[in-house]
Amino acid sequence: MNTDQLIQELSSGLTPVKRLHSPGRRLVQWLAVSVPVLAAITWFFGFRPDLAQCLADNRFVIQNLAALVTGLAAAWTALASSVPGFRSRTLTVAVVPALLWLASAGEGCWAEWQANGWSSLDSVLHQKCLPEIVGSGLVPALVLMVLVRRGLALNPGLTAGLAALAAAAIGSAALSLFHDGDTAWVTLTWHVGSAAGLSALASAFGSRLLSRPARSLPA
Amino acid sequence: MINDRAKHLEDSARWGQWMLAAQAGDQAAYGRLLSELAPVARRMAARQMTAFGVTEDVEDAVQEILLTLHGARHTYDPDRPFLPWFAAIVDHRVKDGLRHHRRHRGRETDIDSVPETFLAQAANTSATDRMDLGKAVAKLPAGQRQAVEMLKIKEMSLAEASAASGQSVPALKVAMHRALKTLKGMLGP
Repeated sequence: MNTDQLIQELSSGLTPVKRLHSPGRRLVQWLAVSVPVLAAITWFFGFRPDLAQCLADNRFVIQNLAALVTGLAAAWTALASSVPGFRSRTLTVAVVPALLWLASAGEGCWAEWQANGWSSLDSVLHQKCLPEIVGSGLVPALVLMVLVRRGLALNPGLTAGLAALAAAAIGSAALSLFHDGDTAWVTLTWHVGSAAGLSALASAFGSRLLSRPARSLPA
Repeated sequence: MINDRAKHLEDSARWGQWMLAAQAGDQAAYGRLLSELAPVARRMAARQMTAFGVTEDVEDAVQEILLTLHGARHTYDPDRPFLPWFAAIVDHRVKDGLRHHRRHRGRETDIDSVPETFLAQAANTSATDRMDLGKAVAKLPAGQRQAVEMLKIKEMSLAEASAASGQSVPALKVAMHRALKTLKGMLGP
């Protein structure tokens, strides 16, 4: 088939399509499903007993706000990257809060290290949050993947990595409401580390997760 | 330079309008859009492919670009300029094509003439075999012929062929299966 025939065929068989919603609107759709699910998980396990004390601690508030903002920003960036013409400088939207999250956890670790030395690392071995983070982030991850697949991710590794980071970060923020005993080292290794690990894993398999060619939905 | 920029902006605005109409199902606007974009895609693809020493397969790349654009037309946001959206699709498809070319290149060797490998005449008739096969494919029913052309001749994936033809993946599989059966019957044992 030559190109003119292809053009003829594509245009003569054209049907109206439903335009993809903006990244902001799809982010709202993602939150509309994810927030109730995370609220239900929190309700099921119950708030941690020391939550009131934690909320009075600036470090706890900053760390978890940073995780929450990382989740929102990474989700928005993942959705934006599923539209052709995505500019790589938009990545700073996700990178800046992720670095803030890392820095706030790192600052906590430094303070714990100065106070307790090597013994501050004990909690890392006793507290393993990866299953809880995966469990909390599972539904947000699946929903985000569905929303991302409605577009056309030209860099599937990047999009999948951002989606996994978003799900893990928002899962981590929710986890801190019902999971007690997390020290700064636990936050750095198990929360931030899990998010980074899951993001790298998703990025490696991104082309398999998102390689399906885009298909316009009928209007 | 300023004139070039003004022309780009003007083209981008016009194509954006046509794509907006195409999203609503305007076939005439879509036909005009694709007809204007094909030579642009050809120029962009040829420039990138030539930079990597690839001079053939440009037309295949153009068709891939148009098919991808067709499948992704719902992702165009009329509030944003058209050209960056289109250029990203072109860039992606050309790079994909170059990767495909490199993969196949490693397994292929250019030869001037097909060497005779067997004494028997029947083993050395690839040209006439191709003609027979071409005639047999032309005689296939439309749906089966389309499946063979897309999946075997153009080497499209099932998903891409489905997007281009509007047929479902199972329907394409069935058409391909039937086509092979019919061709087997036509060309003998």
